[in-house]
Amino acid sequence: MDYIIDVKDLRKEFTSHSSRSGLKGAFRDLFTRNYTIKTAVNDVSLQIKKGEMVGYIGENGAGKSTTIKMLTGILTPTSGLVRVNGMNPHKDREQFVRSIGVVFGQRSQLWWDIAVQESFRLLKKVYNVPDEFYNTHMADVIKTLGIEPLLDKPVRKLSLGQRMRCELAAALIHNPPLLFLDEPTIGLDVLVKLRIREFLKEINAKYGTTILLTTHDLSDIEALCERVIMLDEGQIIYDGALRKLRENWGEGKQIQFAFAEEATHAELQSLTQGHLVLWEQGGNASNWTASVENNEDIISAVIGRVVGAKKIADLKIVEITTEEIIRNIYEEGVIRNG
Amino acid sequence: MSYLSIFFQYAGQYLKTRLTYRADMLVEIFSDLLFQAVNLIFILVVFGHTSLLSGWSKDEMVFIYGFFLVPFAIFGAFFNIWDFTDRYIVKGEMDRILTRPIHSLFQIILERMELESLFGVITGLGIMFYSGHQLGLSLHWYDPFVFVLLVAGGALVYAGIFVALASIGFWSDSKTDIMPMMYNIGNYGRYPVNIYNRIIRYVLTWILPFAFVGVYPSAYFLGRDEWYGYAFFTPVIGVIFFGLSVVFWNYGVTKYRGAGN
Ligand SMILES: Nc1ncnc2c1ncn2[C@@H]1O[C@H](COP(=O)(O)OP(=O)(O)OP(=O)(O)O)[C@@H](O)[C@H]1O
Ligand SMILES: [Mg+2]
Repeated sequence: MDYIIDVKDLRKEFTSHSSRSGLKGAFRDLFTRNYTIKTAVNDVSLQIKKGEMVGYIGENGAGKSTTIKMLTGILTPTSGLVRVNGMNPHKDREQFVRSIGVVFGQRSQLWWDIAVQESFRLLKKVYNVPDEFYNTHMADVIKTLGIEPLLDKPVRKLSLGQRMRCELAAALIHNPPLLFLDEPTIGLDVLVKLRIREFLKEINAKYGTTILLTTHDLSDIEALCERVIMLDEGQIIYDGALRKLRENWGEGKQIQFAFAEEATHAELQSLTQGHLVLWEQGGNASNWTASVENNEDIISAVIGRVVGAKKIADLKIVEITTEEIIRNIYEEGVIRNG
Repeated sequence: MSYLSIFFQYAGQYLKTRLTYRADMLVEIFSDLLFQAVNLIFILVVFGHTSLLSGWSKDEMVFIYGFFLVPFAIFGAFFNIWDFTDRYIVKGEMDRILTRPIHSLFQIILERMELESLFGVITGLGIMFYSGHQLGLSLHWYDPFVFVLLVAGGALVYAGIFVALASIGFWSDSKTDIMPMMYNIGNYGRYPVNIYNRIIRYVLTWILPFAFVGVYPSAYFLGRDEWYGYAFFTPVIGVIFFGLSVVFWNYGVTKYRGAGN
């Protein structure tokens, strides 16, 4: 039982009334209501160990935020078992939330009208953080996130990136062992993203903070998480190493050719006959991509044959990106040999 | 007592923010005073020409209004939850509240307090001293303590009713006019209940007990001993109604659905 998050068959259903159309429908609604049940999270089980950084990904509406809200005690699950930091989040809520930090990228956790510094001070009181600890710990956080110049500004006057760094700092005032981040990098520029990633790595290394984060930016996951959990329509379709996902799905390579003259599909195919090559046209008739197995002999043979027959302007070998892998999985919905 | 020290921290922050917008604060205090003056004039005009109404004199009516202002001011300062559904449920602000280690209702009280309402306490006391003087009432040493107890009871009655109404938002976030309607009903508590028919009197005593915010407790200070039983029952009713509303609120929190993004 040294899992910091231990979830079994967690489920959340939202019921909503749908009204029937017309006068007759409205009259019937008075007596019998039509309910539609939406299963946002469908019997999810997962376990996370202390110190892990886990990426929680999935398409829009997959149920990521709903899961996080149940793990943080905001929503009561419809059914299932939840233990987080050894507690039941919605039962012992006030006690429980002392042991977690939460950032919702879509919504501010800070008070809109008061200066960032004042927000921090109120939170310090709310979490009952001792002075000495606050002074050393927060000074460090503030420095790493580079938010000193923002401290005396009211939150509503901050840009998105500035606000998000302040939100992160606020979530860490009580130095929680577990951090939930729901789309913490949404809408941020590359530099701020990098800074936030560095910061998360740092607190993970320094305090062993466990981090569960959702994002639509897979480069966040690649930079931070060894493990990903992929959700589709409320169900987990993959839970494992990001590396493994690449091995299973991204086994091929792509060779991008830019020819000096135009080429046809039939012509190229006849050139590489005997090998399993998938030719796809790029932007115009002289740009072609060959998808092949990740095998040096095959790659060399394909390049050799093509280069021997046609004039080349440019040539590039690329790995299939995680982005593409994930897109393929979303499209197919299930995992091959997963 | 950490809730108390958190309260002072918030109150300090509140005053600091308010003092930077001094003009706004003055406007608000002024409009509050104006509103109270209009109500007082209403009482004087309507009840002025009859010297007795169901056995109550004009000065007694004014006294009851003065008393009513005190618990009402306290309620107004701390229970600004008439827009709870819009602000916290529809906009999903409740998410933030629920990730903090303090009771959710207490946090909302802290965030929504409007301390300038407390000026109503001064107005109320002024009116009570004036009409009490006209009536020739005398004060006992223990009266201030009884006063505090009865005011607390009255404020809790108001708070309980409105907290219960706000809790409905956890189940349904559709717009209703129930809050403004309840403010109107609350006003009936500032007039003696025996001027109403039996049904209204029953409702104002046991269902929506606004009579415990005005007439009943005032009856004690006016020496109307036929109402003493009700007067002393005020804190009990306050604690019962507020307690029930908090239970209802806590249950509502478990039904909170959040706002879909
Ligand atoms: N309060 C609510 N009432 C009704 N349905 C809801 C509510 N909250 C979420 N849902 C539904 O549950 C499903 C999952 O929503 P959720 O917000 O968890 O998705 P998500 O994975 O976080 O998506 P996104 O990437 O867009 O943030 C969606 O179909 C959504 O419409
Ligand atoms: Mg979401």
